[in-house]
Amino acid sequence: MRSKLPDAASSRKMAASSAVVAILASIWLCSSIAADASGSSSETTMHTNNWAVLVCTSRFWFNYRHMANTLSLYRTVKRLGIPDERIILMLADDMACNSRNKYPAQVFNNENHWLNLYGDNVEVDYRGYEVTVENFLRVLTGRHESAVPRSKRLLSDEGSHILLYMTGHGGDEFLKFQDSEELQSHDLADAVKQMKEKHRFKELLIMVDTCQAATLFNQLHSPGVLAIASSMKGENSYSHHLDSDVGVSVVDRFTFYTLAFFERLNMYDNASLSRLFNSYDPNLLMSNAYYRTDLYQPNLQEVPVTNFFGSVMETVHTDSAYRAFPQKNTPRETRIRTGNTAEDDSRRSILTDMTKAECPFTRIVSSLESKMETVGNLDSLVNYGLVMILPVLVVSVWLST
Amino acid sequence: MAEIAESPSTTEHPLGTVGASRSKASSSALRESDVDPKTMRTTTPGLKRLFLTFSVLLSFLLGFPFLWKTVEIYRSPLPFGDMDALSKQIESSPLQFPCHFQSVFMTKLTSQTLERQCGSCGENFTLSVVVDSDGNGLTPNCSYKCGALGALNLGDGEAVDEALRSALDESCSDYGGKLYTVVVVNGDGAGEGPKALVGKHRHGWISGRELDAEAMIGRMAEMFVKIFMNGGREDGAIHGEFMPVGADGRVVLSFSLLNANPDDWFYDWDFQKLDDTLLNPVIEALKPIANISVESQVLYHTPKSSFSYWDESLGSYIFSTKDLPFFVNSNEWHLDTSVAAGGRTKILQFVVYVPSANECPLSLQLPSGEISKTNGFISPMWGGVMVWNPQSCIKYSGSGPPARLLMHPDDLHRIFEVLMGQLRQLFGLKSDSIYVGAAGAYKLLPSEKGFTEWELDVLSRQHTCFNLHSSGTTLGSLSRLVQSLPRMIIKDEIGKQVKFSLEAAQLAQTNASVGLYEASAASSRQARSLAEDAFFHPSIMSVSYFSFEHCFAVYSPFFLPVSLHVLLAALREWRRYKQEKAKYVRWKVKQVKAA
Repeated sequence: MRSKLPDAASSRKMAASSAVVAILASIWLCSSIAADASGSSSETTMHTNNWAVLVCTSRFWFNYRHMANTLSLYRTVKRLGIPDERIILMLADDMACNSRNKYPAQVFNNENHWLNLYGDNVEVDYRGYEVTVENFLRVLTGRHESAVPRSKRLLSDEGSHILLYMTGHGGDEFLKFQDSEELQSHDLADAVKQMKEKHRFKELLIMVDTCQAATLFNQLHSPGVLAIASSMKGENSYSHHLDSDVGVSVVDRFTFYTLAFFERLNMYDNASLSRLFNSYDPNLLMSNAYYRTDLYQPNLQEVPVTNFFGSVMETVHTDSAYRAFPQKNTPRETRIRTGNTAEDDSRRSILTDMTKAECPFTRIVSSLESKMETVGNLDSLVNYGLVMILPVLVVSVWLST
Repeated sequence: MAEIAESPSTTEHPLGTVGASRSKASSSALRESDVDPKTMRTTTPGLKRLFLTFSVLLSFLLGFPFLWKTVEIYRSPLPFGDMDALSKQIESSPLQFPCHFQSVFMTKLTSQTLERQCGSCGENFTLSVVVDSDGNGLTPNCSYKCGALGALNLGDGEAVDEALRSALDESCSDYGGKLYTVVVVNGDGAGEGPKALVGKHRHGWISGRELDAEAMIGRMAEMFVKIFMNGGREDGAIHGEFMPVGADGRVVLSFSLLNANPDDWFYDWDFQKLDDTLLNPVIEALKPIANISVESQVLYHTPKSSFSYWDESLGSYIFSTKDLPFFVNSNEWHLDTSVAAGGRTKILQFVVYVPSANECPLSLQLPSGEISKTNGFISPMWGGVMVWNPQSCIKYSGSGPPARLLMHPDDLHRIFEVLMGQLRQLFGLKSDSIYVGAAGAYKLLPSEKGFTEWELDVLSRQHTCFNLHSSGTTLGSLSRLVQSLPRMIIKDEIGKQVKFSLEAAQLAQTNASVGLYEASAASSRQARSLAEDAFFHPSIMSVSYFSFEHCFAVYSPFFLPVSLHVLLAALREWRRYKQEKAKYVRWKVKQVKAA
């Protein structure tokens, strides 16, 4: 602020008051500037979306129940609201069209065949031999080749809650992938640690349904991870029942009781996670379900299951439109177009625009071509031309002698 | 087992040598008794065998470093020190930008506290402030020249804005043109109180009659701090969920027109024209912050998944804010089919929903009971949805499919205004044009670029902070990860990306310290994208590198037995040499004693 200071030496009070006001304003400015801290605080990130990574690590016909497990959970998660674009489904996918399948293109998780899990709208992201430990770790850590499409990537951000469900054959600190390789607990812990470092999730729920599943979590150390396993070290996880028609066991006990819990819910419910965990009965499971909450801060009784299994969209209402744009007033009539003529018009208009911008040579050539097309009998024109050459030749020879 | 003996007769047989030594002993005047070959010998032991075995051992030892070099893991040298230093520096001291403010008083200030008594200051007092902290007072070169602004017609905000711009904008090259000005003018609004407007560029003005000095300074400070510095929000920092720029610095805006039931009616829009005329300036304006590309599509048979009910008093179908999280029906709305977006690009969906005939008109009711003016909402990091009701809700009843109706440009214009409001919300700004602060209300003039210049400054500063913070943490994580896996191959590409990222971060910090907001935003965006490329390079996979056990298992079946044999042979020869030497020494001693 600059202007002339008058020789008003008399009233000190006025000068003092204005100076005080100016100083106060500048102090307010300085303190506000100092308080303007950097970056974003990750502790208060909003929960913005939910993701699910569902992995079935076995193949072959006798592991039918693992694929049925995974497909049942896929169906549940979709019903509760997570869309396909936020689900990564990894299956060997060799059950539905297996030559041993008496019901082709159908996969059941119940001997009464109540539900065809393979019925409609199943989108498998990694199928067959693509389900490998390397691909699984690539999905978790996000380190894909640049050509991998978006539907095969886990595009979560720092506000995402991720549900990771794995089923198959496992053992002490490992999980068998497709009968040829294994995922060790330290690999999984390492991948989760890297995910946390890059803020790829806000909270992570890992559910594992294999034998000795609890040993897979032994090396987990990252905060924000909740883990639940179907059995402890030294215990097996059993299948629920055998379907004598299909010929194999169709579902595992842990997954069966999990699904039974979720069949009673819809997407508006708010049953808590502790209710889910308490619903597992060791007598019915024939193993002890184990859950690990030491890395997870919030109280399990206050966390609704839809935090992981359902859909969350934080919404903010748009208060007003942004009226800045100049508007041209055109008379109000709706143009009705039938069929595809409109696109053809636009396409043709583009072409005519292009011809206007050509160079003279092509214009001459194209005009010649159009003239040629109008001529009816091209052969006679050529003959005339040939015949005309003769007198021209004679004239030139005569001129040269 | 040849032996270099001094006697001419050499035989291969041990008995023969014994015989030779015996004969030698017997020939040497029988002074000694028989030499026991197990304890004594008359000749110095040979060195040839020792030499051979030790030369083999030595060649193995000499060749070992070469072998080690050939099985070395190639690791591109990463500047760990620089990466950790950058990470620590960014976290410890938050990045702050230089800002320049200027106030222009074009009116006389009065003060309520002034008593009109004899001897007090008159009405024509002026105020001057000079900043002289730590000795180097700033005397700005490009300050306002008195008299540059003529009479202003305060009724027309746009005209005043333009007049101020031409008056204030002359060559403020000192600050890169980034000088924020507030002008106080004498207004003629009768008795309404002071009005404050903020223009589209970098200035605002307060007008009114009989302006009070304290109130004016308070409003001015609020305009500087809350509007020009904080962007019209209460707190300074934008949270991460309002920074929808992808990790590679790109955003794809995907506009979709959804016809819920095309059997009733279906609409089409001329998006190309909208893009050319209205959307392009916005994208140009956002260039330093994100590299934006646009795509559009029209979809059919896309019902929503929440329910609405008919309200007789309002005359329309109502859905409330509680239904908003369930509005987007992701099973039927296949929005994310873009192939234009790479793996790390962010896609923002802008959906215009045309309801079906049995839900027409569809309105959003706010918790307060009133109907929303925009019928739209956003979801941070996802995009925005807007419901557009056709002009008449009469169901098409003709035979055959209904004709395709093109949306009228006026409707499209109005839709675009709402979508622009949503875009602003997604970037953390407000969609309306009033800011109510502690000292009063301020009207913010909207700009046809979607964002005013001072808003773009705010966004540039916030995005620079966020990008630098993110690149710092990413590089720090990468350095820790690489150092914790000493046997992982680090390709040259990663080394280059880290180097360029560090350079870009340095450039961003330099630009920020000078005050070039846009340049710092652009270089910080590049730093972040390079750091993310380096961290997410597909070759950094812990299952793919060779552990030490693997290396051991490959080389030990050959080298272990061979080295064992060579060592044993050398040891054995050495021990034999020592024994033979001792034997010879003993014989020598005996001879000396006998002599």
